[in-house]
Amino acid sequence: GGLCNLCLDKTNKDYILEANGVEPIINCLSSSNEETVMSAVTTLMYLTTPQSRQQTTALPVVECMLRFSLSASRRLSNLATVFLEDYCTPLQVEEARNLSKHTAVGIPLPKD
Amino acid sequence: QVYTINLESRYLLIQGVPALGVMKELVEQFALYGAIDEYHALDEYPAEQFTEVYLIKFQKLPCARVAKKKMDERSFFGSLLHVCYAPEFETVQETREKLQDRRKYIAKATNQRDCFVAKKVEGPKTPISKNSAYDCQRTTSESCAAGNWDPFPCFPNSHTALQNRGYPSGIHNQSQFMFLQNDSNCAETSGYFGQSMSLTQNVQPGGHTPPISSVQQRAVPTDNGIDRFLPRTTHLQERKRRREEGNKFALMGIYTDSTEVVIGPQLPEVPKVDMDDDSLNTSATLIRNKLKQVAYSVSRTSVEKPKASSAKPLLKQRRRI
Repeated sequence: GGLCNLCLDKTNKDYILEANGVEPIINCLSSSNEETVMSAVTTLMYLTTPQSRQQTTALPVVECMLRFSLSASRRLSNLATVFLEDYCTPLQVEEARNLSKHTAVGIPLPKD
Repeated sequence: QVYTINLESRYLLIQGVPALGVMKELVEQFALYGAIDEYHALDEYPAEQFTEVYLIKFQKLPCARVAKKKMDERSFFGSLLHVCYAPEFETVQETREKLQDRRKYIAKATNQRDCFVAKKVEGPKTPISKNSAYDCQRTTSESCAAGNWDPFPCFPNSHTALQNRGYPSGIHNQSQFMFLQNDSNCAETSGYFGQSMSLTQNVQPGGHTPPISSVQQRAVPTDNGIDRFLPRTTHLQERKRRREEGNKFALMGIYTDSTEVVIGPQLPEVPKVDMDDDSLNTSATLIRNKLKQVAYSVSRTSVEKPKASSAKPLLKQRRRI
């Protein structure tokens, strides 16, 4: 949450990216605390730059966002949808969708 | 819990509304804080006995923010309201816009801060810097329309506001609220400026109790010369405010830092009475000082008192923020 609030300031943004902050934030997507997850989604959005895009919209992230977009939590699904629509290319989304289909066949995904 | 943009919303959930058929009055109360897009009762939402739950959608998030702050835990027709944000009612587009607005706001506020820093370095009151400060001021007012955030230091805004006497009238309630949420450490007078302006501005929309359908937000400032025009009523209020401020200073006694900007005439100090008795005089002095202290601290505290971080033990467990 703190990072979410801070990361829009250019100075902070640069610092976070410089300090390899994207990775830990991606890890927060797996948190059991829904607020943490949502803050992470928003933070990733805010940290996306042409340079960082490769990291913030990596395939596992997009895949995760796809799952979130189907969540029963409206807040989370909204955020994930915005992420997919505004920060990912259709190709990226397609790629992630295919991947999910592949791994989901007959195998239940872990609980969100 | 940390407040993030995700938690805030134009949508407010209001619980604890007494089931007395007071929807109209409720909405009128909330409309004092800004234009309302939609409102309706939420019949399916769990509610305590004899109470109802309402959803109110503000046109602008900053208005919802203030309304929430003001109306939460407020007594309404004998019942205590519980107001919280309801971002789960947002559409995808609304969420998108909310996030974008915040991004724009920070970008502009950061620019404005850099403007100010640059100006400070340059030296005061060169024509160029004054213009840039003025532009920064205007862009801030626009960004205020777009979105708003508490923790961001307001000092640059207040400072430039003082130097630009013709405060743009386009600044409407929202940017006033930006001042309201000022850290009270901001320069005292500039804090006054913001607060008094907001107080006077606030009175106007509420004063007419218009029918709900026609309650309108003041026009969003447009990016042309019009927002530099101060309407006459604002001038009058400005003068009144300055007079009052002069009185305040007189009451508080002398806080003559060289940095203090004295606005308005300083009335003679309250005459010190000699009671012809030492102990009485001591008491009188103590009381006088206490009065000064109280007056000072009352005027120092921003209108928007920061919420006590610890919940009072009497408050029942809250379900959400």
